[in-house]
Amino acid sequence: MVKSSQTNRFARWRDLAISLFLLFHLIAIPIWCLPSNSLPLLVCRDLVRPYFLWSGLFQTWDMFSPSPKRTNGYLEAMLVYTDGTTDYWQFPRMDRLSFTERYSKERYRKFEETLADSKFADLWPDAARYIARHAPDPSKRPEMIMLILNSSDLVRNPDGSFTDLPWQSRVFYRYRVEPEDLNPQ
Amino acid sequence: MNAILAAWNRFFFTERSPVPLALFRIAYGLLVMVTLLLLKADWIPWYGTHAWMSLGAMRELEPGLRMNLFTILPQDDLWVIALFWIFLASALLLTVGFLSRLNSIVVYLCLASIQQRNLYILHGGDTFLRVAGFFLIFAPAGAALSVDRLIRVWRGREQSEVPLRRLWAQRMIQIELSLVYLTTFCWKLKGAPWIEGSALFYVFHLFELQRFPLPDWLLQPGILKLGTWSAMVLEFSLGTLIWVKRMRYKILAAGLLFHLSLEYSLNIPMFQWDMLSAYLLFVDPGDLQRAWNWICVRVGPWLGKPVSVSYDSRSARTCRLVNLLVALDIFHRLAFKPSAETGNRTSAASETNNRELILTTPIGTCLGTDAKLILAKSIPLLWPLVPFCYFRTVAQSRK
Repeated sequence: MVKSSQTNRFARWRDLAISLFLLFHLIAIPIWCLPSNSLPLLVCRDLVRPYFLWSGLFQTWDMFSPSPKRTNGYLEAMLVYTDGTTDYWQFPRMDRLSFTERYSKERYRKFEETLADSKFADLWPDAARYIARHAPDPSKRPEMIMLILNSSDLVRNPDGSFTDLPWQSRVFYRYRVEPEDLNPQ
Repeated sequence: MNAILAAWNRFFFTERSPVPLALFRIAYGLLVMVTLLLLKADWIPWYGTHAWMSLGAMRELEPGLRMNLFTILPQDDLWVIALFWIFLASALLLTVGFLSRLNSIVVYLCLASIQQRNLYILHGGDTFLRVAGFFLIFAPAGAALSVDRLIRVWRGREQSEVPLRRLWAQRMIQIELSLVYLTTFCWKLKGAPWIEGSALFYVFHLFELQRFPLPDWLLQPGILKLGTWSAMVLEFSLGTLIWVKRMRYKILAAGLLFHLSLEYSLNIPMFQWDMLSAYLLFVDPGDLQRAWNWICVRVGPWLGKPVSVSYDSRSARTCRLVNLLVALDIFHRLAFKPSAETGNRTSAASETNNRELILTTPIGTCLGTDAKLILAKSIPLLWPLVPFCYFRTVAQSRK
């Protein structure tokens, strides 16, 4: 009888703990991911941020919104070797891969999207070093890596149809390769 | 207040069948494995010590204390590869439901780690797997359709019926799914292209996202406008009306078509399947049972004639064995008859100390290794054992 009442008490406390856990997440997750930047939400987000970052519960669901991308684009890199010759390093281009390859290489598309964004400029040196280490011609030493963004805007015509504007290329980052970049420890 | 508490308890703590959760666990494990295998060629380029982005750059861009095994692993590619193989093995064990709790924790730790190591190659499907994986840790994922359950049945801790469980963690995954749709809908409300109906045009005209070709008529501005608004209506419905039981299956069917059409047209690997996996959690266990019975009626005849199994219900070991066979016999090919009740005990049963099963098949009665071979042939989950049983039968007949 005593054991049974102890079990009941334990079950009550356990349920209370679970309920608090559930309640916290039911409030915190919507606060984190709803698309509003009102002051109370921002304050609450700051409060739960350490827990969300640590636990991996951070999330964003802005799929193709608020506005989908309006530009077709791809990245490439130009390598200048120490002998003055040049070469191009191509990121996998989804539209040129087979149906099966593009399924496994899609992460490159996502990465290129990030890399082309100046908010993520801290990634550029690492990317340039990676390209230098994987130069198309391993017998030569790359001296300079240039990251190039090629883009073509999609424009909506007054009659409702759309036009692709001509492709444009822009070097958005130059990196001078150091010898230790090629043989990192 | 009492009514709210009662509703809360009913929603989160009522005991229900864990079969939908078990199906989700299997789908989840498979999706994690496929995701890892799709990534396999790029394990080192993305996560190695000299990857596209260094651990240091990642920490600078995304500061904060994070659950990330890469921060404590030695900086060596062999460790990275070992982590991935452990992750893959753990996902396989989670799929079959062996040490489900432990493996759900290992899978979550590894999944969170590889995502934290490189946050810039993720899509929504990866995020959903991560968040669902977090709640899966707390769920009784191995309560049904699992090796764990077979072990419990064999040890006599469970009977052939799957016990009901409290599925509050499953509820959180369901809520997460509907929140994903609702949040997406809210984001879209903020975008002019979605309101004016031109959003899908841009989406389908991005070369990098295209998968299989679409017919021209689908790309007409009028159709795309309709598609844009339909997507928003559907996302709102999936976020809200999915909780209305009367409408649930219609909404789920529309969601299934929506995701399959996106799987065809857009190259976002595994995203659609990641989302669809959680639909399993919304299927009523009774409907699952009816659907399974329907399959059994149609598939059963292909598996041969039913086999009658007599056993001594007074032997605890035999009863456990029978419970195990009932759990394994998912196509209901065996009919069990406790011989103590039917008075149908044979001299053969007495000779074997009541521990053997006696099988009655259309070609006669058998026991011992012959019976094991017939059982292995009758139960599809035991088919991998057929060669072993066959060789034992041959070896014994030679003796």
